[in-house]
This record gives sequence, C-alpha cells and structure tokens, in this order.
Amino acid sequence: MTSEPLAVEYYVPLIMFLIMGAIVPIAALAAVKIISPLKPNRRKLSMYEGGLVPIRDARIQFNVQYYLFAIVFVIFDVEVLFLYPWVYIYASEVMQRVMVFGMNIAVFEMLMFVAVLLLGLLYAIKKEALRWV
Amino acid sequence: MDLGYYAPLGAEALLTGVALLVVLLGLFVKNKNLGGYLSLIGLGIAMWMVASAKLGTTFFFDTMYVDGFSQFFKAVFLAVSILVVIASLSRYKNHPGQDEYYALLLFATVGMMVVASAIDLITLFVGFELASLSTYALAAFDKEKKNLEAAMKYFIFGAASSALLLFGFSLLYGMTGSTRIADIAAISMADFGPATLVALIFVIAGFAFKMALVPFHMWAPDTYEGSPTLVSALLAAGSKKMGFAAAFRIILVALMALRLEWYVAFAILAAVTMTLGNVVAVWQTNVRRMLAYSSVAQAGYIAIAFVVIGAVSGSTNPDATYISQLGLAGGLLQILGHALMKTGAFIAAGVVGYMVLREGKENPDDIENYAGLGQRAPITAFCMLIFLFALAGIPPTAGFVGKFVLFNAAYDAGLLWLVLLAILNSALSLYYYLRVIKYMYVYKPAGGRISEPKGYVLALLLATIAVVGIGVHPEPFIGWAMQAAAALLP
Repeated sequence: MTSEPLAVEYYVPLIMFLIMGAIVPIAALAAVKIISPLKPNRRKLSMYEGGLVPIRDARIQFNVQYYLFAIVFVIFDVEVLFLYPWVYIYASEVMQRVMVFGMNIAVFEMLMFVAVLLLGLLYAIKKEALRWV
Repeated sequence: MDLGYYAPLGAEALLTGVALLVVLLGLFVKNKNLGGYLSLIGLGIAMWMVASAKLGTTFFFDTMYVDGFSQFFKAVFLAVSILVVIASLSRYKNHPGQDEYYALLLFATVGMMVVASAIDLITLFVGFELASLSTYALAAFDKEKKNLEAAMKYFIFGAASSALLLFGFSLLYGMTGSTRIADIAAISMADFGPATLVALIFVIAGFAFKMALVPFHMWAPDTYEGSPTLVSALLAAGSKKMGFAAAFRIILVALMALRLEWYVAFAILAAVTMTLGNVVAVWQTNVRRMLAYSSVAQAGYIAIAFVVIGAVSGSTNPDATYISQLGLAGGLLQILGHALMKTGAFIAAGVVGYMVLREGKENPDDIENYAGLGQRAPITAFCMLIFLFALAGIPPTAGFVGKFVLFNAAYDAGLLWLVLLAILNSALSLYYYLRVIKYMYVYKPAGGRISEPKGYVLALLLATIAVVGIGVHPEPFIGWAMQAAAALLP
C-alpha cells in the first residue's frame, strides 16, 4: 500500500530515462552528419524504387476501390492470425472440459467467429464492394 | 456445461444476433423499416433479460462478471438506445443505409454492455473498441460536411485515447503479471515506484477522453454539434457513460492502492471540469453546443464520486464504507438521470433541426430557431423544458435526485469546498438553461405550428416520464443505485 506519498528519489531513474531518450536520437543523427563523408551525385539522390529506374511522379491518385479490397483482405488476414493461437489451444485440457452443443468450446467459438466473418463477406459481395469497375 | 449457465449474458448475445440479422435482412428485404422495429424488439427483450438476470456469476474464465453494478449500467445503455431507436424510426424512415445504422447502433450498445461487465483489461478494451468503432462510423452517418469533420475529430481523439489507455494497461500488466482486475487489486503497487504513477496517468487520461473531463474534452463540443442529432444523443448519453463504467471498475477496484494519487487528480479534474463546462456553456448561442458543454459540466459532477471515495476509504471515519457507497450511488444516479435527460434534450433539438431544415433555413441549432417553440411545437417545447430543469437539478426531476445524493455524500466525506463549488456551478448553469426556456415561451414565434414527427414525440414523452418519475418517486432508484454501488465497493 502506498500510505505515504512517493519520495522524490524514486523519480530520478525516470527523469534520467527521459533525458537519455531525448539525447540519444539527436546524438546519433548529429554523429552521422559530422562523421560521414558527403559526396552526392544525381544517381545517389534519385528515388529508390526496387532498383528500377523511377518513372513518373510518386504522388498519383489511386482508385478508391483499392482500399475496399485492402479492407476485406485485412479482415481475412486477421482471421488467419487468430487461427494460429487457436490451433495451439483448442486441444488443450481446459478447452476439452467445456462443451457447447456437444462441441469443444474452442471449436464452437471459432465456428461463430468464421460465421460472422462470412456474413461480412456476404455483405461486401452483395453491396458490390468486390466488383471492379 | 449447459447454455443456461450463460443466460445472464443473454442480452449481449441476443443484441449481437439481432444486429447481424438486421444487416442480413437489409441485403435481401426491401422494407427497410423492418430493421428499426427488429432492433426495438431486440432492445426491449434485452432490457427484460438484464433486469431478470441472475447476479454474481463470472464467465469465460473470469473475464466477465454479472453483478448489480454491471446491470445498472446495462439498463442505462439500453434505455438510451431504445429512446434513440424510437426517434430514429421517424428520422431515418426511408433512408437507404438504414440497416447499417441500426446494426452499428446495436453493436455500439453491445460494446458498452461488455465494458459494464468486463473484469479483465483485455475484455474491457475489446468492448471499448467495439463501441468506439461503431460510433465513429455513426458520427459520419448523414455524410454532410459538418458530420465528416465531427467524425474525424472524434476518431482522432478516440484513437489517441485508446492508445493511451492501452499503454497504461500494458504497464499495469507488466507490473502485476495479470490482466484481471481482481489480481491487480490484490498486488501491492508500492514496490514498483514511479511506473505505477505513469500507468495511473495514462489510464486516467485514456478514460478522461471518453468521459470528456477538462482538459480532455476538446473533441466533445465539436462532435456533439456536428454529428447527426440522434447520434449525439447516443454519444453524450451512452458512450460517455461507458467511460465512467470502465473507470469505476478499474480505478476504484484495481487501482484502489493508489488512492492518494488519483484522489488529488480527480479532485482537480472534477472542479475544473464543472467550472469550465458551465462557464463556457453560458456563451454559446448554438443549442447543441450548449448541451455539449453542459454535458462536460455534468461529467464534472459525476467525477465527484471518485473524489468522495478517495477521500473516505482507508480513513478513520467509522462510516467510511457507507459514505463511499453513497458517493458511488450518487454518481450512478447522476449517470442514470443525465443519460435520460441528455438523450431527451438532444432528441428535442433534433425536432427543431427537422423543422428548420424543412423550412429551408440554415444553422438548425441556432437559439433563434427556438423562439416561440412553445406555440410552434408544444410537446417538444414542454419536454425540453422538463429536461432543461432536470439538467439544472431542480426538483422533482431525476437531475435533482442525483445531485442531492452525490452532494450529500461529498458533504459527509468532508469535501465542503467541492460541494460549494458544485452548487455555485448548478446556479450558474440555470442561466443558460433558462435562456433557452425564455426563447421557447416568451419570444414571438417565427412561423406557424408544425407537425412534430411521431417517433421523436414518443421518445420525448418516454424520457420525460422517466425523468419526472425518478424525481417524484426516487426511493427504488436510490435503493437500486446503492445496491449497484455495494456490489462494486463491498
């Protein structure tokens, strides 16, 4: 229990941490500026685009549909992400103990999760989010 | 294990199912009003389930807990959602995006209910985000320029507050090795030094954004003014109270050991919040903005509950337990009353907005539009009158009951300065509430009588009955709030 107020010396490490946190990145950047030799030429200064010669300006307008596709993709990406830890625990003893509708609770929960996601996909298809125009 | 064991959480399950069903039906069925009625039926059954749930059980490996405290908040959230849905039946009658609207509203309600029951930091955060993400989308629902600005501000501030909250939670987890509130409460925090204080600051800041305590309130007036009126009602009355539900659980239970630290923080926050909220509200000529600042001020009153509990628990006062329970009960009653009257006030503002937009004028929320409302829309004006009196805390209304119990507890806890400040603030708030009433009943109307939309009228009347009912017959509600408070602070 903290029945007395925290003493000042407790905060010294925190303040040290904040000061160091401010100094280190500035010092690192400054060191690079001072120590490294600087010999620029046109090729070095040009944009890096996977080793190819860059064409056109980088700031072009994307079709907004890319974002819809990306969002739908991310949902299923996350689903797979959840399946990995699920595989790890679904056969565990704790999960075996709880049964729902004669199913291991982990299986039931994953079925619910996938069903809700499927509903989302159905919604996206029906609203023509996945039709490329 | 049989499903009956999970019956106390049936309301959440039912609403999730109804929300999914509404989305699904929206895809195939032409009659879109169906979604609204389905939501209303679902919310009604959920209310009954919440009222009749068996208390005192934990679920899902000790991450959710159904007790008097959680059911109190769930009832508040459901009441707000029911009122908003009834009004929405008129507002979004033939709107093409209806199914999304009702589904998001139901998901937001479920998120809030999960937060009320959560006794685990991760579960609490998931519920918090479910409610937040749904309301971000709702805030932009009308797709007007003002909406988008409001939603953008709400989203940015909300995301920042979630980040702060999560950072605070991660520190708590790092120190105690558990995300369960009971485990965190059981571990003495004194050994961790200043890290506890950092965690506490992040958690308080994260919640204070949701509760709109000064200085974390900047988003609230812009968002409440710019969002669709009914969504503002949901935000001010529901989503904000979710912040309180979570903060009560975490700060009063998990972080009770840091009482001395948060007691001072909340004393300052409460005093500054109610004063600034009221003083700024005086200058507003936009009614919805005025209501937003008044809601900031009300959050300041509710935050007195934290101060009372911080002041008395652990002290030598023989009535310490009773006073802290009374303080929390006062906060809960204020939450219940404020939820009802603020929903009502925003719905009334919605009627005026509807009227002004139909006349083809701009600035629907300007106070000039309220001139002569007593003759133009008598039911709306009368209900608004009741809500404004209730917000000022005039008996016999719910606003008076909440303030009475809360200030009483603060006085018993020896916080005379805070009680005086709060009463002075209440007096000040009367000025800007009465100004609206003066416009409605004294000034000449600018047009003829209008037909008030049926859904709005029904919601207004229900809210008025509830606000006056609690004021006239407060005993069962005080008893209910005391029971809820005793569940959290035994």
